[in-house]
Amino acid sequence: MAALLAVRDVVTAYGKIEALRGVSLEVQEGSITCLLGPNGAGKTTLMFTAAGILRPRSGSIQFAGKDITSRPPHAIVAAGIALVPENRLVFPNLSVQENLRAGAYQRGDGMEIEADIERLFHRFPRLRERASQNAGTLSGGEQQMLAVARALMSRPKMLLMDEPSLGLAPLVVEEIFRIITELHRDGTTIFLVEQNAHMALKVAQHFYLIEQGKVTFSGDPGSLAEDEVISRAYLGSARQ
Amino acid sequence: MDDYTIGVLTNIGLFAFVALSAYLLLITGEMSFGQQAFFGVGAYAGGILTAIYGLPLPLAALVAMAFGALAAFLVGLPTLRLKGLYFAMATLAAAEMARILFELFHFQVEIDGELTGPDGTQGFRGIRWVFENGIEPAEYVALVYALLLVVLIAFLLVERSRLGAVLRSLGEDPELAASVGINVNRMKLGVAAVAGGLAALGGVLYAHHNTYIEPRNFDIMLGVHSLAYALIGGLGTALGPLLGVALDVGLLDGSRIFGGARMIAFGGLVAVLLIFRPRGLLDESVVHWFRTQAWRRT
Amino acid sequence: MLVDLLQNTLDGVAIGASYALLAIGFTLIFGVLRRMNLSYGPAIMLGCYAATWTHLEFQAGLLALALVAVGATVLAGAYVERLCFAPHRRGSAIAAMVGSFAIWMQLEEVATLALPRHIYPFPVLVEAAPLQFGGLFLPRDAIVSIGATLAACLLLHCLLYRSRFGIAVRAAIDNPMAASLAGINLSSVFVRVFALASAIGGVAGYLIVATHGQVTPMLGMWSTLKGLLAMMLGGLGSLPGAVIGGLALGILESHSQWFLGPQARDLVAYLLLFALLAARPAWMTRWTTTRSAS
Repeated sequence: MAALLAVRDVVTAYGKIEALRGVSLEVQEGSITCLLGPNGAGKTTLMFTAAGILRPRSGSIQFAGKDITSRPPHAIVAAGIALVPENRLVFPNLSVQENLRAGAYQRGDGMEIEADIERLFHRFPRLRERASQNAGTLSGGEQQMLAVARALMSRPKMLLMDEPSLGLAPLVVEEIFRIITELHRDGTTIFLVEQNAHMALKVAQHFYLIEQGKVTFSGDPGSLAEDEVISRAYLGSARQ
Repeated sequence: MDDYTIGVLTNIGLFAFVALSAYLLLITGEMSFGQQAFFGVGAYAGGILTAIYGLPLPLAALVAMAFGALAAFLVGLPTLRLKGLYFAMATLAAAEMARILFELFHFQVEIDGELTGPDGTQGFRGIRWVFENGIEPAEYVALVYALLLVVLIAFLLVERSRLGAVLRSLGEDPELAASVGINVNRMKLGVAAVAGGLAALGGVLYAHHNTYIEPRNFDIMLGVHSLAYALIGGLGTALGPLLGVALDVGLLDGSRIFGGARMIAFGGLVAVLLIFRPRGLLDESVVHWFRTQAWRRT
Repeated sequence: MLVDLLQNTLDGVAIGASYALLAIGFTLIFGVLRRMNLSYGPAIMLGCYAATWTHLEFQAGLLALALVAVGATVLAGAYVERLCFAPHRRGSAIAAMVGSFAIWMQLEEVATLALPRHIYPFPVLVEAAPLQFGGLFLPRDAIVSIGATLAACLLLHCLLYRSRFGIAVRAAIDNPMAASLAGINLSSVFVRVFALASAIGGVAGYLIVATHGQVTPMLGMWSTLKGLLAMMLGGLGSLPGAVIGGLALGILESHSQWFLGPQARDLVAYLLLFALLAARPAWMTRWTTTRSAS
């Protein structure tokens, strides 16, 4: 299977501080790949670099054979990647429906957009209930659904998800991961950043561990004892 | 040196005070459109003190500075909590109010058979202390620059001290500053008062150089220009605002090559300059380079 | 006495309609780009000067002059956007603002070099006598101003709430980063918003000079001040607020001038703004993003 996303030696810095110090990893097409690591390790930075929000100082990112390094975010959406950012980031003053339409901004096929909205309401019934409500009034869990649905509106080949379970109740977290599994079954490649290592390892085919801006481990769930993975994901390895 | 050049040099010196005033606030993260009001307060106060009350210029200048600092303190008290654009608009409103008050201010007294004092929109004539005391233009420009030098030395000393680092931290990361126990609001208020006094000093000198002031001299254009001088010259050092003033007043006023299209040339140049140097000519990186060079030689 | 109050209010609404348009233009740029455009008034001045020149050269009709005014303002606005705002998109708000101030100077000089006199006549919108009812006078051009403002607001509302572009603009206002993640090309949105704001400004400028029957070099500074004041009075960053702020400013000025004289007129407006800012009621600081103009 080909690597859909190939990240090579990416260095991303904020001013003088290097958040990613040469990260290399691959996401296989059709997989759920997970990135674990303690806070501040660079997980969100990598997501933002892949999505075009941040420009790497060096290194390259290839997607489906094309070079997407340093392209602007809207070009990356056009290439087939959609990011569900940390903290949801829905448009609070737009209605749920308008949020979805925003996600489909680049598409020109009106009828299909409406059909997609219908399909997403079917998958996320609670969003249908709140279709004309402003997104700012939704609960955390509903906003997370909306953020995922909005990302799906662009019909991405790969979905990037940054901490989708953050701040959500356990029942809602289970629902989110059920949706992730469903999306995967329907053919979407998913690259997932999670603090909740336990849940993430249950669904992922492959995972990476990132600590202090570098990838320190790559393997599939089971290649490392779960409690060691979890402790390194939360605390970093003892060596550091 | 001919009178014209002396005049240009004097103007550079005078406007440097109000540019430094805007610069001081910019460093602490506050963008003020209103420093011209304190320039005006200094001008009117200083003029009244010498022309009507007969005080000598040095004393009048000190009192005028106090007035400027007080006015800045009063304006800053309710407004420094405001963020970015809100603060800028509040200073704009305050400065325009000051200018309108100058327009409404009539205070004329008969001195030596002649009505002297501010006369609303007609302005304030007869601020002749400098001439009555036989000070030549060349001597006056030397005085202006001597005072400017003192101010610049004070700035440069503060910049290298802990106080300077604290002040810059107010602008760069106020939350961090607050978390290490710095009373951000009180410091900003202090800075605002000093900036007000500084602008007022420039105002006194301006009034006595021109002998005539009117409310129109202290309008928004002066305020935005001061801000522009500070930014263009560079926010890395107090020499930045001075450079900004020198470039505008000196280069383009002094050289007549652009004729009537002076602002077309200068405006375009500034906009382009800011694209490449958004923090001005003498920005922090340039200043840092100078300092490391100097260090290497020791 | 009551008649005076009503008349002042009516006059205030008439001029307030133009202030509202100016405020809308500033608000669009501030709300979407999060930047203050100090060249907004001068671009409008350039537009009106271009219309004046067209009138002097070709004796063109009112509609043609309106088109020239709007077109020239949009062109000037595009120039400002490319030079002062596009390069600083990810950078300093102050640099963008000071750059726009530098271009303010530039645009004013271009206008005054082309038409150097202190005052130029401009054809009046409507020559007929004012309407009268119950002791009140309503100048016909006031009707045009108010009507044009209403039409502009309606158009803007439709654009923002019933079009794809509108979703992009409102998304960019809510959260620029999320908007680009949704695939919205922010640069392109900014350019179009700038053009829209300039067009609205051009309409405002045209209404103002056609109502007063004259053009002066003070138009640039004047539009900037009034637009900023109205925008701030209505609560920074909200479009309905801009309209309310504009009308409120017009009415406030009208009454102040009647009771206290022309200087007091401006003084009262600034005093109100300062007091509002100092007191900071919640509706004024709706714009709580920390990424604001600093």
